[in-house]
Amino acid sequence: MAELILRLKATPDQRLDLKSLTPSRLAGLTVPEIERLPIATTRTQVTVGDVFTVSGALGGGIRFDGGSDRFDFIGAELAGGTIHVDGDVGAYAGRRMLAGALSVSGNAGAHLASAMDGGVITIAGTAGDCLGAPRRGERFGMTGGTVAVQGSIGERTGDRMRRGTIITHETCGAFAASRMMGGTIWAVGGFGDYPGALMRRGTLIAPHVTKMLSTFNDCGVHDLVVLQLMEKHFKDTLGSLAPAPTSGPPKKLSGDTATVGKGELLLIS
Amino acid sequence: MASDTVSDPKNETTEINGVRIDDTFAEAFGMSAAGVIITADNAKWARQAAITMTGFGTSVIGCGAECGIDYEIAPKDTPDGRPGVRVLVFGFAPDSVTPQLKNRVGQCVLTSPGSACFNGLESDTKIKLSAGVRYFGDGWQTSKKIGNKRFWRVPVMDGEFVIEDEVGITTEGVGGGNLIIHGTDRVGLLEVTEAAVAAIGDMPDVITPFPGGIVRSGSKVGSKYKGVVASTNNAYCPTLRGTTETALDDTTVVVLEIVIDGLTSKAVADAMRAGLKAVTDQGAAKGVTRVSAGNYGGNLGQFHYHLKDLI
Repeated sequence: MAELILRLKATPDQRLDLKSLTPSRLAGLTVPEIERLPIATTRTQVTVGDVFTVSGALGGGIRFDGGSDRFDFIGAELAGGTIHVDGDVGAYAGRRMLAGALSVSGNAGAHLASAMDGGVITIAGTAGDCLGAPRRGERFGMTGGTVAVQGSIGERTGDRMRRGTIITHETCGAFAASRMMGGTIWAVGGFGDYPGALMRRGTLIAPHVTKMLSTFNDCGVHDLVVLQLMEKHFKDTLGSLAPAPTSGPPKKLSGDTATVGKGELLLIS
Repeated sequence: MASDTVSDPKNETTEINGVRIDDTFAEAFGMSAAGVIITADNAKWARQAAITMTGFGTSVIGCGAECGIDYEIAPKDTPDGRPGVRVLVFGFAPDSVTPQLKNRVGQCVLTSPGSACFNGLESDTKIKLSAGVRYFGDGWQTSKKIGNKRFWRVPVMDGEFVIEDEVGITTEGVGGGNLIIHGTDRVGLLEVTEAAVAAIGDMPDVITPFPGGIVRSGSKVGSKYKGVVASTNNAYCPTLRGTTETALDDTTVVVLEIVIDGLTSKAVADAMRAGLKAVTDQGAAKGVTRVSAGNYGGNLGQFHYHLKDLI
């Protein structure tokens, strides 16, 4: 499939709001028209052509040849097609994403997949704090989709998360799944301190937790069909990015009993 | 096996390996059908749940639904990676299939050790599979959305019963494909008919809902008794051959029928073809004399399967 290639000319000297550069928003535009599009910034007005060398054709996909931790809102409200970034991305990548795929070969900043509703985000490096969380005043964080991060992810991951899946192949920072209402967070390298504070529903999966809230109760070791369902689904949809299969029944802790307490932490081996 | 086919234009019949094929057709009807996959810790218990769920599911008239096991599924092909069985449930319309699923899954699958229940038919039209059943959880049930599918987890005494929220249903189903096999030896004909059912069992997307796939009580519409909607098809009863108008040959002592329901008309035709081939491959050695098919003159059912087209 043909790709529109946006080659970064130089390291940006200000933050760039790239939410306008999605396949649906660029559909039907010629390369010169794309180059003339304005990019929201923090100081100096720039156009796409000032920042990128544009080539190729939009066949449903966009490739950023070169990234930066100042690339904010990349893939925001993506409704289909693919965006790939060779490099890092900044804050709010995949914000309110609906469908399609966003892949990043480097690291992602804070608020990755903020209020995401669908699609798949893959990050080869690490991701910052508040992955999948809502912005201030919003009722829900992630409501769907899948985020798979090869590296570690920051604190407050999955705050107010309602549906969807977050996977890290390393560790998940402190206070994950705070106020969580549903969905799944799988931390292959384990959770940091106090995951699941005021968690109502949802599933946390990890081999260990550094510090556990006292409001989670031990339900024993159980062979859960739903875990097999998830493992098979992740293997089918994520391939090598899927967590390795668990080797035995998990220990289930239910909580947070400070609220409705229908969430669960599955300690796997 | 090489077959010996002889056509007799005068009598409009064909004979294969000594078995006469009537120039007639099976008349079948449009139905709605849902597919369900039942898994368990092993194939024995997946099959047990499926057998229980499909019990008392021979005829939509008296049972509310026509049900059967379509095929067994290897663990690598089931949603949860455990051994599974695909069950098909046929009814007049989606609205009549829904309560059948609710009752059959609730009483026969939920209760079966280690079972789980999933959608077994991809279709744009969906009906609820978990409706009612999930409330057995009494508030402890939780849902889990995986990909674009929702599953319910109901706590039970051996862990959790997992059931998918919705199941696909088709209105393109066909019920009532059939083969009627005549013979001179009851034991021999049963063996041949069993072989035909086994051949049909290898075909996907069809079920043979009667006991072991075989019907011995073919019926006609109506009765001399008020309020009885169907009664024995006396024209096909060998013991009445000298008493009533008969459709049987002078030597016939046994007639068995195979009824076939399928997700598509093609599936029913392919299944009838496989069953017919199994019968004619065995030939007349076990007392099979003739294969016919049941119809109502062609005016009631939308689907007609002519035996001569299936040879």
